[in-house]
Amino acid sequence: MNLGFLVNFADTGPSVHIAPAHVLTIGGLTITNSILYGWISALVIIALFIWTARHITIKPKGGFIQIVEVGADFITNMVMGAFDDKQRARKYVPFFVTLFFFILFNNWLGLLPFVGDGLQSSHLPLFRPFTGDLNATLAIGVVTMIVVYVASIRESGGLRKYLGHFFMGSPFNPLYLLIGLLEMFTDLTRVLSLSLRLFLNIMIGEIVIAVFSFLGHILAPLSALPFTLLEMLVAALQAYIFTILATMYLAIVVNHASEHQLEHLTEDDVPETIDSRTSRKVIG
Amino acid sequence: MIIAETVNTVVIAKGLMIGGGFIGPAIGIGIIGGNYLSAVGRNPEASKFLGQALIFVAIVELFGLLAFASTFIVK
Repeated sequence: MNLGFLVNFADTGPSVHIAPAHVLTIGGLTITNSILYGWISALVIIALFIWTARHITIKPKGGFIQIVEVGADFITNMVMGAFDDKQRARKYVPFFVTLFFFILFNNWLGLLPFVGDGLQSSHLPLFRPFTGDLNATLAIGVVTMIVVYVASIRESGGLRKYLGHFFMGSPFNPLYLLIGLLEMFTDLTRVLSLSLRLFLNIMIGEIVIAVFSFLGHILAPLSALPFTLLEMLVAALQAYIFTILATMYLAIVVNHASEHQLEHLTEDDVPETIDSRTSRKVIG
Repeated sequence: MIIAETVNTVVIAKGLMIGGGFIGPAIGIGIIGGNYLSAVGRNPEASKFLGQALIFVAIVELFGLLAFASTFIVK
């Protein structure tokens, strides 16, 4: 019995692919199915958002544009809330909004029915969710952390000052040296933890959907539906978590740096009756 | 070993890995969710910290996912 792609694999067990499959070779470079679908979804996302930017109006018209507005507003508020200095936060808002929508739409486009075993080239899936590949999420994580590090170094005023914060200002104290080295190592694991979390969540979602569409046999769409809906929620949650964690990594350093700038003021500059919160407003 | 020849130890190993690896995050997420709800019950204005609770859920969840990912190494 063969009812197309739905029960193609009913005899062999759930079809689970952990590693992306090789689809074609261009000039000696192997193009895997995940990067192929990544290009397609990137083009779709770019086209969609250029269209949205052209058609956006002051009075909301509803539809897709309003969903984008709500998402952008949500992330903007989140980023602005994380930073003490709102002028500085404004600079980083576009990056984080882009990051959020890129991950969100890549996750959602990966749930479409033709992604995975629906379309095949030589018995291997032609498309694969872009974020369901460790190389892809590692690339997103590396780019995000490079932006975070560059911005942190710039905001704290030079590489020397930035590294000095790890050692609490005195690297010659043996205890602070040890703590500082540990802190630096912990900082480097952020790339891995960000990318692994995103990759494993999407990958496990794929596996769960594959297992339940296998168990459903002929009723595969029905048995996989609740888990697909769950995965839509997980996709949004993971995009949000990736963005908020990246924001927090940057905000900790930037808030610390803006506190340091207040230290230049002597006690006489600030009236005693004003607490630190209001004094910041007066100065800022 | 006789046991290794007669029993499919890989399946047992994978089962133990998944079971042991998921029990911790399950307890952790339960604690986070329970504490969040009790905080909201005590002080309803604390409900705005749901986003921060979700961050901790994500951090806790990662360890379970790592355990899941390492089952693919066991052959």
